[in-house]
Amino acid sequence: MRVLLVEDNTELVSLLKKGLSQGGIEADAVGTAGDASHALVTMQYSAVVLDLGLPDEDGITLLRDLRRRGESTPVLVLTARDGVSDRVTGLRAGADDYLAKPFAMEELIARIQALLRRPGSLLGRRLTSGNVALDTEGRQIFVAGAVHAFPARETAVLEILLRRSGNVAPKRLFEDHLFGLSGDVGSNAVEVYVHRLRKMLADTGATVKIHTVRGVGYLLTEDKVG
Amino acid sequence: MIRFRSIISRVVALQVVAIGATSILLPLALYWLLEQAANSLHRETLRSQAVTIGSFLRAQADGGVVLDIPDDVRPLYAEAHGLYSYAVLDASGRVLFSSRADGAALFPSGTSAEGDPSARRRETGSGLFGLTVVRTVGERLYWVQIGQDLAHRDVIIDDIVAEFFSRVAWITFPILLVLLLISILIFRRVLEPVREASTTVAAIGPARTDVRLPEQSMPTEIMPLVRAVNQALERLESGFRAQREFTADVAHELRTPLAIMRVRVDSLGAGPVQDALRTDIVGMARTVGQVLDIAELESFVVGDDAKADLHAVCSDAVGFMAPLAVDMSKTIALTGADSAVWVHGHADALFRAVRNLVENAIRHTPRGTSIEVDVSADGTVCVLDDGPGVPETDRQSIFRRFWRRDRARPDSRGLGLAIVARVATAHGGSISVENRPDGGAIFTLRLRPA
Repeated sequence: MRVLLVEDNTELVSLLKKGLSQGGIEADAVGTAGDASHALVTMQYSAVVLDLGLPDEDGITLLRDLRRRGESTPVLVLTARDGVSDRVTGLRAGADDYLAKPFAMEELIARIQALLRRPGSLLGRRLTSGNVALDTEGRQIFVAGAVHAFPARETAVLEILLRRSGNVAPKRLFEDHLFGLSGDVGSNAVEVYVHRLRKMLADTGATVKIHTVRGVGYLLTEDKVG
Repeated sequence: MIRFRSIISRVVALQVVAIGATSILLPLALYWLLEQAANSLHRETLRSQAVTIGSFLRAQADGGVVLDIPDDVRPLYAEAHGLYSYAVLDASGRVLFSSRADGAALFPSGTSAEGDPSARRRETGSGLFGLTVVRTVGERLYWVQIGQDLAHRDVIIDDIVAEFFSRVAWITFPILLVLLLISILIFRRVLEPVREASTTVAAIGPARTDVRLPEQSMPTEIMPLVRAVNQALERLESGFRAQREFTADVAHELRTPLAIMRVRVDSLGAGPVQDALRTDIVGMARTVGQVLDIAELESFVVGDDAKADLHAVCSDAVGFMAPLAVDMSKTIALTGADSAVWVHGHADALFRAVRNLVENAIRHTPRGTSIEVDVSADGTVCVLDDGPGVPETDRQSIFRRFWRRDRARPDSRGLGLAIVARVATAHGGSISVENRPDGGAIFTLRLRPA
């Protein structure tokens, strides 16, 4: 997997390249919008990590130009500007995700991986959190290395939680996935499946917890060590 | 002394004074001119009468003269008729002929040169107005004196002069009043662009520095002011632009090094030092973000037609802060309305406000407590916590920048609630804090329903 890193700060570039390669992502770096434009024509990248503050051209302008000429490579916008309107502007210009500086290295890797897991992307067969792993193709669940078979809907709930690990997964997302858009959703159906999944995870000795954020959704976290 | 501040009142005051003076002076001047004209008319009549009398003088063979007045004009000079009187004198001043019964001269001879009008007060009390014309008959010079009783002057001319004053006054006054009204109307029209320009200027704020005063239809006298104001606005705008660019530059210059630091720390081996450094960087990044938010919100204006779903905003904010709450062993919930609540507002700005309220609640409450974000259909968000609450004395100052109740707390910079207050103001809403009956604080953010 190879991504294009568009960032003009050489120090940050070298650190990011090192950090990304540790996460299994190789990166080619360019420092200007012109070079980025050029690189995307000559090479096929899995994703673009784009800094908005470039010396020759505004990153937003570059992004708009890329989208206009039909470039569909997922773009993660990396920016120092996190003002009230910046996020909206970035996403409107065609960004797939948005990350404000400073960020944790693992957050950047997770976001890039999330971009590639989207439909049409290849990665993301195995989702992990704590000692829990899910094979999205085989629908098998591993807790502390042991294989378990959970019912389909509980597995679907776990998949959503794992994909959003560390962040809140909105309740609507579960309803849409579990019952389809036309399905008749009982008011507490999601709660019932989450409750069952919680019990199954606890019974198998998983080191993750599902927290209810009432009125919003659910949050999967790893148990703190110690 | 009364000071007239408005141009119109000044013009009216000046005009009233001018009208007063004009309506007195103009008739007086006209009266004088008319009087002059009437007098000269009189003189001409008298002169022609004198010439007529002179033409009746006939030279005799003995060197003397006779006055041969035709019978049809003789009554004109009869004392009984009393309109004109005459006397003819010879060079030595002897009276030859006189219409007067006593046969005396009308005026003492030699008192008047040829053509000069003379006046004499008669014994009867009425004035006699007349003049003398020199006439040559044969070889000799004769003085023909003609006089008119002032009591019998031309009645029509005198009437015109006498009535002139009151008539002119009656016409002059309304005309001047109409002129006054016209001036007021003209001034109002001329000042209309100035009034419109004032409305335009009133709309100028930090976020609307692109406004300029219209130069068309502006009176020439006011153009220098309009140009000067526009130039001042130009300088103001470039100042604000420079400030915005500075904010963006500061964001870049501060956050990129922080990003480098963060990635460098992430690449260190795990341990307490790495954790401490991470916490420092997160705290620093948070402060930088808040300072930039404050700077940006200073010139932030919500568009008139901006609409946001307050329920979605609160759901996002609670979801965004939930990991921190869970990390600090607190529960968080969104209650109240369970469908869209449309308010007049900018979604991202409102998100920052609610996020800061939730973050404030998370940071100022003990572990194990719960936080509730309640959205009402009327566009109100309440953030309720189980913390110590806010003392009555702090309930105003808590929303001020860099205000901190406990200056020793390292994780608080006193900016979060100032941002909330600024967002509330920008939305024409309000933020307030009270204590719950059973302890804990309740922050209420009120917005305008869309």
